[in-house]
Amino acid sequence: MRMPEQRSPTPASFLPDFCAAPAVLVVVLIVELVALTMTIARQSLQQNFWVDLAATSLFLLWIGLGCAAVLCRSRAWLASMPPGRAAAIAIAMLVAVVGIVSELVYQAGRLGRFDLSAAMNVFPTDHAGFLLRNMAVGFIVSALALRYFYVTAEWKRSVEMEALARIHALQARIRPHFLFNSMNTIASLTRTDPARAEQAIEDLADLFRASLHDAHTQISLKEEIEIARTHERIEQLRLGNRLRVEWEIDGLPLRAQVPCLIVQPLLENAVYHGIEMLPTGGTIHIRGELVQDRIEIEVRNPVLAQQGYREREGNRMALENIRQRLELAWPGRAWVETAQSDGEFRAKLIFPFTESRPSVIGL
Amino acid sequence: MKILIVDDEPPARERLRSLLAEIGDCEIIGEASNGEEALELCSQLKPDVVLLDVRMPGISGLEVARHIDSLADPPAVIFTTAYDQYAVEAFETEAVGYLLKPVRKEKLAHALRHAARIPPSRLTRIAESAGFEQRRERICARLGDQLRLIPVEDIYYFLADQKYITVRHKGGEDLIDESLKSLAEEFSNDFIRIHRNALVAEKQISAVERTEDGQYVVRVRDCGAVLQVSRRHAAELLRRIRGES
Repeated sequence: MRMPEQRSPTPASFLPDFCAAPAVLVVVLIVELVALTMTIARQSLQQNFWVDLAATSLFLLWIGLGCAAVLCRSRAWLASMPPGRAAAIAIAMLVAVVGIVSELVYQAGRLGRFDLSAAMNVFPTDHAGFLLRNMAVGFIVSALALRYFYVTAEWKRSVEMEALARIHALQARIRPHFLFNSMNTIASLTRTDPARAEQAIEDLADLFRASLHDAHTQISLKEEIEIARTHERIEQLRLGNRLRVEWEIDGLPLRAQVPCLIVQPLLENAVYHGIEMLPTGGTIHIRGELVQDRIEIEVRNPVLAQQGYREREGNRMALENIRQRLELAWPGRAWVETAQSDGEFRAKLIFPFTESRPSVIGL
Repeated sequence: MKILIVDDEPPARERLRSLLAEIGDCEIIGEASNGEEALELCSQLKPDVVLLDVRMPGISGLEVARHIDSLADPPAVIFTTAYDQYAVEAFETEAVGYLLKPVRKEKLAHALRHAARIPPSRLTRIAESAGFEQRRERICARLGDQLRLIPVEDIYYFLADQKYITVRHKGGEDLIDESLKSLAEEFSNDFIRIHRNALVAEKQISAVERTEDGQYVVRVRDCGAVLQVSRRHAAELLRRIRGES
């Protein structure tokens, strides 16, 4: 059996991706704040605030974007070393960029005889002093910026870790009630119907294997439905004709990619909180369809009228778990709707249709 | 030893049957797949021991055990459960016979040897610590050998005389052998004590009237009965009725 596919973890770097717009935007923001700070500090020497600000911004933007380009290029390399060294090297490179851009601007101003009038006023007469001061400011600002990126990255990482830990904890919770009842059914079948007992053990093994996948694991919708059907087969042995399941899923694109265990827990809930509590049992309806570019899967089951079905702890937890899985796969673009009326409970999953990559999961 | 098996799952009943056959020295006199059936068979067949599943649709195992106790000669009860952490802890504390599914033959044999009747007080404590609904949904009345289950919803009022309590309900009148005080506590949400000897369903009160001699009386909606309100309970009654409207 091959191991489940996992999303390759990005190298643990505190530096954001400077090739992407969000990080570049942050760089521009930092640059403008520095430019503003410097301009305000110089106000007593300068007549025109806005001209000074524009010139300083222009100069610093070249430096800022240069720095972003360098970090963008060297990110993978920096990520491969310990954070302390990566930070030191990054700062050295940034200071070098400041030096080079300052030198270029100085030379351009001196040789090109551009009319930089107002802006050139800030240029000192001594070449070395100009470079050194710029590089000192560059050193301080880049050290502060890197510290900012580091703290942000750490915070994000801890939030993510916490969410993952919670999902793992929830995931480990194959309902003991289901496990022991299935074992009891199998114990009974080994005497009366060994062939079915064998199938039940195989089904149970498959279910457990699926429950061991981590929260990031994506499988095809076809596989997810197969897992749910496996669950259904085991429950059927136990509950006999009290449990009826109607599948209406012809409209589903089976090659769609989904997080593991999003349909099966809904079925498990429908049995545990719905069918099992009804003396004559009932029918669970599972309906799925593709609506534009969204997949909708709805599970409906009858419930005992006087029961506060939605509030029950186990049900709420399973739904919360599914919600988290969907959120992890499609942040902000997938959700779970639940409703209860007329002795019926409905749970509906809505998520974007994502084409499956070639499947490597072994089921 | 006469045994009644109660479980809603056919394979679970089947397994107990084959284990009991191997143990020998006992006779399976019946099988029930839900609580009502279990109570019916209990009063008809008079088993010595009931193997009773805790989690069942309709009447739960714990409630069945409570009703079983109103039988003339109640059988011993052994609970069976696949998984219910709290119930199992409660069974341990109250030293009540129970078996975990899948049941082991030796444990079943052992439990049968030590099976005992469970008094209602223990069942109440078990239900309490296992987080089960303590309020019954039905009241059990005995008619000779028959058990009659009266849904609490259908009850108009309880009226106590010296020995028994009369339950007036949609289906008529029955006698039960319980105390009015414990009934008043158990159903305090839906019933109001209006007299030392009377407990009325709040939703059944159609009117509270004052007679010429200054006494209060309650009119019961569906059966038209008129019940006396004692001075001691009048204030509480009026307060609850007003709170309602």
